[in-house]
Amino acid sequence: MLSSLSRRRVVVLLILTSLLLITLDRRGNNVVIDKSRQAFSVIIRPFDVAAKAVSEPIANAWYGITRYDDVNAANQALRDQIEHQKGAEIEAKTAINIANDLLKLNRLTSVRNIKGVAAQVIGEAPSNFQNTIEVTVGSRDGVAVGMPVTDGAGLIGKVTKVYPDSSVVMLITDPQFTVQGQVLSRIEDEGASSTTSSTTANTALSGRPLDPTTSTSTTTTTTTPSSTTTTIGGDNVTPGQTTTSSSSTTSTTTPGFRVRRETGDISGQGADRPLLFSLIDDTALTNVKVGDIVETAGGTKSLAPQSIPIGTITAVTRRLGSRSPIVEVEPNASLTQLNFVSVVLFVPNQAAI
Amino acid sequence: MRSLPFALFTRLIPVALVILAIQRTVCATYRVDGVAIQVVLALAAGAGAGAGSERGAFAGFALGMMYDLGVGTPLGLTALAYGLAGLTSGYVVSITPDPQWWLGAIFVAIGSAVGEAAIPVVKFLTGQEGWLTDRMFEVVPVVTIAATLLSPLFVPLGRWCAGAKRRTWRAIPE
Repeated sequence: MLSSLSRRRVVVLLILTSLLLITLDRRGNNVVIDKSRQAFSVIIRPFDVAAKAVSEPIANAWYGITRYDDVNAANQALRDQIEHQKGAEIEAKTAINIANDLLKLNRLTSVRNIKGVAAQVIGEAPSNFQNTIEVTVGSRDGVAVGMPVTDGAGLIGKVTKVYPDSSVVMLITDPQFTVQGQVLSRIEDEGASSTTSSTTANTALSGRPLDPTTSTSTTTTTTTPSSTTTTIGGDNVTPGQTTTSSSSTTSTTTPGFRVRRETGDISGQGADRPLLFSLIDDTALTNVKVGDIVETAGGTKSLAPQSIPIGTITAVTRRLGSRSPIVEVEPNASLTQLNFVSVVLFVPNQAAI
Repeated sequence: MRSLPFALFTRLIPVALVILAIQRTVCATYRVDGVAIQVVLALAAGAGAGAGSERGAFAGFALGMMYDLGVGTPLGLTALAYGLAGLTSGYVVSITPDPQWWLGAIFVAIGSAVGEAAIPVVKFLTGQEGWLTDRMFEVVPVVTIAATLLSPLFVPLGRWCAGAKRRTWRAIPE
């Protein structure tokens, strides 16, 4: 059969077959292809285990010989880092508890209310043009395509392929990866005066998500017992949102700040390159600055629930002739040294996947 | 010379499983300057250099299909790139009737360079943008050099997997 095919026909046949397969695979939900992948993952698993069993001791011995000093130095640095983080951890736990109490009070959900399943990273992408890892949990553990994956530091990617006992996770640096993110930028509140008579809201919000702009101020109040229901006006709160508040006859407000929430799409640019943050509202860029924390935005069309840390803004570069500057984000997670991760059991909207 | 389907099932697939496992574990973990060496691609190019362009193309295609199934890349993407690698290395080998080992290594280098460079190009053509960057100039040379170094092993192995035999030359009796 082969001898009857000329070289040109071989080329045409290969290209057409490949393009047909790529098209079928990219359209998704192809049962035959999915089953083939699952079957192949089962077949290749013993070979992987054998290859790892043979190679790991050799590699470990080699590293032990050639990098002993580096390992010692890294170990010492890590011990120092742990000592420093112990104090920060206590502060962070307190802050988390306060935040969770506030969220509960306001009937809002937190990423901490969503269960996750722990997994170990068992492989990196063997290709140079793919940023993925393989983890030890699969459909038997409740993992599904599209679920966000985090490590201790923040979002690392999303599940793209699920097998019974393992899954493939596309890292956030992959150019195909996009997630809706938000940055909470702090703006000095010019409208606040040092001494004023005002009505201060002690809020019990009626179950609505947080408004994009939330106003905060430091307030000292002397309260007389009279209760009233107030509709909050102004730019900062959605019209019609009601709160039950204790009105005050005298209050002193010190200058405060507003936290402005900017949303946009965060996408990868390849390994070893920062993430790109495209803000929906370009005019908001005056508020976004280097050092701001970026986290997932949440929402029905988002891949991940709200408030999973993604990274820190490292550069805001304006381009000549273009209104939209480049906002670069350095991921919190160290994507080259992943070992244990957590798959958040949050099933995103199909449109987000 | 064995038929290709026979060689495919009895030789290429078992060998490819072992090579693919090495790719997925050893090469994915231990990288050279952040670049994963592509041993499966080296075998595809070796099959082309050892068995000719047609057999090399089919062997490369089969190896690429297994790679796609095992790694999770879109099915057919690596198959196309590795098929081209086998075809190219087999095509250039036709310039000489009986290449020396070093000439075979050069053919493998050419085939593997074409195969590795074809992946981002095919990705781009199928709508997966973002990979045609200057990083290619780092990745392709490393992969090519590694394939060249592996060629003394992979050209005979590829030839055997593709069911071909080494050409022997006999003097015409007078």
